Amino acid sequence: ASEAFLRQQAAAPNLRKLVYGSVTEAAGTEAEEEDEELGGLFRVSRPQKNKRDQADALDCSRFHSNDGQNWDLPEAVDSIRDCFVTGKWEQSEDAA
Amino acid sequence: MYDGCNLFRQRLVLSTLSGKRVKIKNIRPRDDEPGLRDFEASFIRLLDKVTNGSRIEINQTGTVLFYQPGLLYGGSIEHECNPQRSIGYYLEGLLLLAPFMKTPLQATLKGVTNDPTDPTVDLLKLTSIPLMKKFGIDGEGLDLKVVKRGMAPGGGGEVVFKCPVRRTIKPVQLTDPGKIKRIRGIAYSVRVSPQMGNRIVESARSILNQFLPDIYIYTDHMKGSLSGKSPGFGLTLVAETLNGTFLSAEVSSTPQGKGDPLLPEDIGKNCAKLLLDEIYRGGCVDSSNQSLALLLMTLGQPDVSKVLLGPLSPYTIEFLRHIRDFFQIMFKIEVQKPLEDERKGGDKTLMTCVGVGYSNINKTIK
Repeated sequence: ASEAFLRQQAAAPNLRKLVYGSVTEAAGTEAEEEDEELGGLFRVSRPQKNKRDQADALDCSRFHSNDGQNWDLPEAVDSIRDCFVTGKWEQSEDAA
Repeated sequence: MYDGCNLFRQRLVLSTLSGKRVKIKNIRPRDDEPGLRDFEASFIRLLDKVTNGSRIEINQTGTVLFYQPGLLYGGSIEHECNPQRSIGYYLEGLLLLAPFMKTPLQATLKGVTNDPTDPTVDLLKLTSIPLMKKFGIDGEGLDLKVVKRGMAPGGGGEVVFKCPVRRTIKPVQLTDPGKIKRIRGIAYSVRVSPQMGNRIVESARSILNQFLPDIYIYTDHMKGSLSGKSPGFGLTLVAETLNGTFLSAEVSSTPQGKGDPLLPEDIGKNCAKLLLDEIYRGGCVDSSNQSLALLLMTLGQPDVSKVLLGPLSPYTIEFLRHIRDFFQIMFKIEVQKPLEDERKGGDKTLMTCVGVGYSNINKTIK
């Protein structure tokens, strides 16, 4: 049983770590910022592309997910069939 | 202390609620036009109007902002929203603050009511308002009304938002979304043929009718002085469940002179498909309102709140990090996989937290 538990632990991505843990990681990489010097006078301004993009990105709450289903396929349509009152009902509930 | 202009509203709103000062630096430092944009300045002015005694300092180029929040005062305000962003942008911030004012808020916002970037006023009206009711913010005073519609880029719309104040927020247990009983929608059109609305409705119904017979989509055509300055049309769809969960999707026409125009038939079809995506993601709170629900959970009574959400959006993840920064609250996040024989869409996320027991010290006791 403990094996099964461990397997499940490994399989399920730890969302808490994903949300809260990666912040400390990001802070760590910031420290290794280095300036390259050209002829001792000018500094090469090389913006860290990824970080800057994120910091100045558009402030918008809309969720653009790109894992959208192809709703023309019958399988996709079938996968949400039970979300509707016209779908299958559980034993315990009733359309009262 | 933060970097960059992203998530600007979250930082300012949470700072106002927690009373902690915030400093944002490096706002577009390498851009051709560095510093704050007009719409951000407009948002700051709106914050200044609803609070009393806020201190705002911006450096000469506008790349550094210092904000010391004052008391949330509320009352009757009027604000001309910058048309670079729609009223939804400003309203999202205001929705988070409104229940915690000293006096009930009555805000008249003028500007762009519908554009493709931000949640439109119609969407917020149909989803955020019912969500706030679940947290005990209800009664006569809660209302959001579109007086005049104004499409991007011209604007000229007008919206009235009223919200009562509450001393405390109820903890909630929203773990079962229930089944979808009906789909409602608004197909709006201004300064184009009223027939556009009907064409949108027709095509959206053609997709949704295979799931449910109870579909009603209003066509809302505004004329004359109520129709703003620019032409446009669009569709907002909302699916309502037996337990009172509202899931939504919307598509607006591209603003005049910006990119390829969309056919009304495509708008109807795309919007219906986006609604199906949203239903697939599922949960008790629609993806555009995740952060509102999480904030109200955080600020609830010191009791356990549980809410089932669909996958967290990137914006919500950043919001969770900010909640930790400002209120030291971390949520318990669990993944719920669907059962073998269930056909209810994808994985869900169960969010659990204990509220900080925030009570509205601004509210006057009578």
